[in-house]
Amino acid sequence: MAKNFLTIALPKGKLLIDSLRLLRQAGLNCPGVEENSRQLMFELPDSQARLIICRPTDIPTYVEYGAADIGFVGKDTLVEQNQDIAELLDLKFGYCRFVVAMPEENLPPQLADGSYDLRVLNHKRAATKFPRVAQLFFNEQGMQITTIKLHGNVELAPRVGLAEMIVDIVSTGKTLKENRLKEVASIMEATTRLVANRVAYRLKYERIQGLVEILKELVKTN
Amino acid sequence: MERSPLGLKLPEGMRDLLPNELAALEKLETKALNVCKNWSYQKVLTSGLEYRACLEPDADAEDNLYKFFDQNGHVLVLRPEFTTPIARLVTTRLKNEQFPLRFCYSGDVYRNNAGRYREFRQVGVESIGSGSDLADAEVIALAVEIMRELDIKNFQISLGHNGIFSGLAKEMKFDAKLQKELENGIARKDMVKLESIISQNDLPEAAKELLLALPHLTGQEEVLDKLQNWNNILAIRRAVESLRTIYLYLREFGVKDYITLDLGILRGFSYYTGVIFEGYLPGIGMPVIEGGRYDGLYADFGMNLPATGFAVNLGVMLEQLEEFELETADVLVYGQSPGKVIKRCRELRKAGKKVEMAIDFMTDTDAKNLASSRGIPQVEKIENTRDPR
Repeated sequence: MAKNFLTIALPKGKLLIDSLRLLRQAGLNCPGVEENSRQLMFELPDSQARLIICRPTDIPTYVEYGAADIGFVGKDTLVEQNQDIAELLDLKFGYCRFVVAMPEENLPPQLADGSYDLRVLNHKRAATKFPRVAQLFFNEQGMQITTIKLHGNVELAPRVGLAEMIVDIVSTGKTLKENRLKEVASIMEATTRLVANRVAYRLKYERIQGLVEILKELVKTN
Repeated sequence: MERSPLGLKLPEGMRDLLPNELAALEKLETKALNVCKNWSYQKVLTSGLEYRACLEPDADAEDNLYKFFDQNGHVLVLRPEFTTPIARLVTTRLKNEQFPLRFCYSGDVYRNNAGRYREFRQVGVESIGSGSDLADAEVIALAVEIMRELDIKNFQISLGHNGIFSGLAKEMKFDAKLQKELENGIARKDMVKLESIISQNDLPEAAKELLLALPHLTGQEEVLDKLQNWNNILAIRRAVESLRTIYLYLREFGVKDYITLDLGILRGFSYYTGVIFEGYLPGIGMPVIEGGRYDGLYADFGMNLPATGFAVNLGVMLEQLEEFELETADVLVYGQSPGKVIKRCRELRKAGKKVEMAIDFMTDTDAKNLASSRGIPQVEKIENTRDPR
């Protein structure tokens, strides 16, 4: 394997377009990626690189094992998966927030400062795609909550009594509104990050750090 | 009794090795151990089970231990590494030996963490009783020599020093929480977190600069010049001097080409106190060698002994190797009279041949086919003149 050759993992879905735009601005010639939506691998001989397109939640795994040297991935996925990879740069796009949300008609009492008193939720259930994030948050609050792991459409769970609340990411809040859910606590913010395999970051330091510096400038000016 | 489906599986992270795989592993192991022996490191073996009280790991590593109870209710663990057990061995049974002691080891270690092999073969060395830079240089050079002997090219050893960060932390009087967060940020190369911690805390400009620069101080000797402004902090000055000296010795050992200085290597919450190093191979996403100086560990066992060493993860390197050819028998012996066949086999073995004896009845064609499928170059038929029985 050439010392300067990079395998770059990009997330399928809504982060792909912004990731590609940034890579192109950084001088990587990546033709035809958007058009060939079924192709998973793209060789970029001009740039001594190769792109692989993965499910967003799989990116930390590809990078941790070194199958990809670097990757673009949401902080939400990183926190949930907690894998041993280097987080090199906040790319600032793909903003979202982790929140706790509940049905509008069943909100906890409000405190004087307008926030909700979560203590009444002890021993209740939270449906989520992010059980680790949820547990860390509730532990920090000194609360005991049962998390129920789901793989999608968590908004449904409180509607049918599977759980009293959900922990999910929101970007605009539209989905919550449509399902008559209201945010009762904000957990953390997340944006897309540039990550690297720990060993690749050492062995291919010049190449990867070079890209980091260019991306850093781009993020600043964009 | 027939086994349940579970009885046909292996626990997560375990594997069996077939003859050719085991032969490949043992070839690596033998080569590595031979180098250690040439450098006068003597092989020891500690027990597979230890009391949890011996290992006393941090909270993070605790989850990775395989634990059991003995009949007295004490917690036992399967050894996750050799360094601490060897410290126990030395401080209990070899107290009165003449130091430095040099030991090597080879054996399987067990770590219950997801994703990788949870049982893997480690070969490593411990150099106990010397705090000199030459001791560090020797083990690093030995690590390089082992990799060379294993015919592994393209590897890189990155060399750092714990004293730079810990010296700064002490000088700046970071509180325990901040130190832990910063250490973790640098160790895990979490630049985003590192930057945010630094911006949220009121630190002197120079300290901020150094913390942000540390992960990027990588290259040859000239990276040490960038720490010149920190000469006033004793721990940092000593660390830099140590690295310079070790680097010089490594040139004498003829292994400098494999060494990169990398001041961003830190291993948070570990027993390392001085030089730290890691060995990398392209295509393997984790270090294959981990080592360094741990001057505090022996004090925990009641003896103030400096020590340094490393372990090579042979298990993970095995995946990268091309398949290794098995040694087959030299000759297949068959015939109708067991007594004569046994006799002939004994003769041939005594003469140093590797002999496969046909156990069941075999025609000439059977014998030829078996030999060719196993790659046995010669067949010998024992004619049945008259059965002695």
